[in-house]
Amino acid sequence: MSALTLYQLVALMLLAIGLYGIVQRRTLVGMLISVELMLNGAGLSIVAAAQLTEANAMLGQLGTLLVMGLAAAEATLVLAIIVVVSRRFGTTELSALSTLKE
Amino acid sequence: MEILAKLAFTIYAVIILGGGLVAVSAKSLVRSLVGLIVTFFGVSGMYLLLNTPFLAFMQMLIYVGAVCVLVFFAVMLTRADGQGEEAAPITAKRRLYALAAGLLPAGGLALVLVKHPGISKILPEEVPLPALGSGLLEQYSLNFELISLVLLVAMSGAVLLTWERKEKK
Repeated sequence: MSALTLYQLVALMLLAIGLYGIVQRRTLVGMLISVELMLNGAGLSIVAAAQLTEANAMLGQLGTLLVMGLAAAEATLVLAIIVVVSRRFGTTELSALSTLKE
Repeated sequence: MEILAKLAFTIYAVIILGGGLVAVSAKSLVRSLVGLIVTFFGVSGMYLLLNTPFLAFMQMLIYVGAVCVLVFFAVMLTRADGQGEEAAPITAKRRLYALAAGLLPAGGLALVLVKHPGISKILPEEVPLPALGSGLLEQYSLNFELISLVLLVAMSGAVLLTWERKEKK
């Protein structure tokens, strides 16, 4: 197996773990952790594809930097949403949040 | 890849796998966060192997330094400790669904990847840091500005969401 395939397989492993976590977790914080795992896998995949093929390597690195920035913005917003939800419902358990209106 | 690089790759892959498994399966969310940090360090090592030391540094600075602290605040502000909502046992059906949700898309992608591998270079390219900086400020300056705008909007949105109105209480 070539180096590129190995790196992409590791990124896919992160994707699988993240998807497993996002379905299996029962709180919003646990889901946020799983989303971060998946975003890391995406970044690793982009960098491996840019560094090990004929593609523009600089573009790949800058793209991963942008993914990191988006991950930071997303974590900020999700933190705010978690605070609002836990203030309104008293919990962040998903089974308590699944009704739209009572 | 040389033997040493293969060895380092295996070690980093094991670190990523172990950290990821702890992150999704630990009962306490604080332990899960520690697993997440371990995974970030493993991915950072992969960036070093890919000859992108700047990204490895940024990975530690942004993910370990900023995102993990944010997630830790989320853990602290909600009741997400060992006695919290995650501590109850998971039913086998839910675990099965979660496994299917994780393995089916990733397995399909892996099948395509192994069957049609891309042409890989032996050695990763090396991009000097000044080239990255000038790319960020010249060729891709619009993206650079847009990401700062997104960060600004996200932060002001977060402040606005958590603003407690005094007159309503």
